[in-house]
Amino acid sequence: MTGPMTADAHDKDDRTALLVHAYVDGELDPANAIALEQRMASEPALAAERARVEVLRRLLRERLPRETEPPALREKVRRAVGLTRRRAQPTWMAMAASLAFAIFASSTGTWYAMQPPAASTVPDAVISGHLRALMAPQPADVASSDRHTVKPWFSGRIPLAPRVVDLVQDGFPLVGGRVDVVNRVPVPSLVYSRRQHLISLTAVPNVSAGTTTSQTVQGYNMIAWTAEGTTYWAVSDLNLEELQLFARLFRAAPS
Amino acid sequence: MSGDDSTARFERIVQPHLGDAYALARWITGDRADAEDVVQDACLRAFRAIGGYAGGNTRAWILTIVRNTAYTWLARNRNAVVTAVDDLVAAENANAAQAAPFAGGRYDANPEAELIARADAAKLEAAITALPPQFRDTLVLRDIQGLDYREIAAVTEVPVGTVMSRLARARQRLIEAIAGDDQ
Repeated sequence: MTGPMTADAHDKDDRTALLVHAYVDGELDPANAIALEQRMASEPALAAERARVEVLRRLLRERLPRETEPPALREKVRRAVGLTRRRAQPTWMAMAASLAFAIFASSTGTWYAMQPPAASTVPDAVISGHLRALMAPQPADVASSDRHTVKPWFSGRIPLAPRVVDLVQDGFPLVGGRVDVVNRVPVPSLVYSRRQHLISLTAVPNVSAGTTTSQTVQGYNMIAWTAEGTTYWAVSDLNLEELQLFARLFRAAPS
Repeated sequence: MSGDDSTARFERIVQPHLGDAYALARWITGDRADAEDVVQDACLRAFRAIGGYAGGNTRAWILTIVRNTAYTWLARNRNAVVTAVDDLVAAENANAAQAAPFAGGRYDANPEAELIARADAAKLEAAITALPPQFRDTLVLRDIQGLDYREIAAVTEVPVGTVMSRLARARQRLIEAIAGDDQ
């Protein structure tokens, strides 16, 4: 608590000062509080310290504006953890539930829906992009775990840079990004990893309504969802539960 | 634990402290938008951990998560130099040796209460922001958010004795700062 050069006398004063602060904070037991009150009555320096601390505390309480959270924050938090979706929302625990559960959930209006993809060529193209990446020396054209490196890299290559979020805390580190071609249009793909598995997340400009599909193609799990005019395709050999977790985290993450 | 249980617990345990969570995040990041990001991040972590939450002081629990999230966030997004725990002790000793706020005979040289009382909100805020992070956090938790010593010890993950010395030094520095340029 004190510096190596400190003398004993300094230590003692230091401790007494701590007691004055603890006294003002109501943290002293009655015996110590009485003893300190007696000392403060006879030692002006201690009384002055007490006065300063009390004034400071009053200032902080009365003069500093109370910081209140923005009204929208509560709703943002609810959305981030999935509370705004009504019944049967998939929580992390429920993620372990079967695909059958997911299909059931879709019928109750949550974001799962087993619908055929709008154009069957899109998932094929996305899978091809993923496979090509797995066979290439590098799965990403820009290899970086920093989203502030990856996002600008896209800006010079395609009209619309994708949403890039950092999920390293959740166990999905960003590996990088690349440009894939879907329907002869260059589109951004982000590459994330989970243990030894790679996840390609391809963002295809789209105007269709927001439904989510999950399917298995050639042994690869795919999940698609639409947000803000873009359809995201996540493809990986990762198990479906964890891929769903990834999709959910990506959607919930602040960009 | 079922999803419904998690949801209900989250509403009950975390939501009431959102204001405190935001305020702490704002002090640590110094920015309102960043504080919102941190709180969302922290709530996500809390939501995931809530199944294993053993009970106890809910506010201290969520503020601990917020504080840790905020420092992780700063390290990631601002390349902030986050002092390792071992270094904190050394830094604190250095600070103590440098400031030696309670050395014998110093009391009389300290500014009087009337001088301090003139400080306005802007000056107070600037002085708090200028404090070293571990001092600032302790002061904010005690004098702005009203936690007791034991709660602060839990949130900042140090012994109560360290809370006491940090708090005293933080206040002393604050007093010197707000009285100092008011001569």
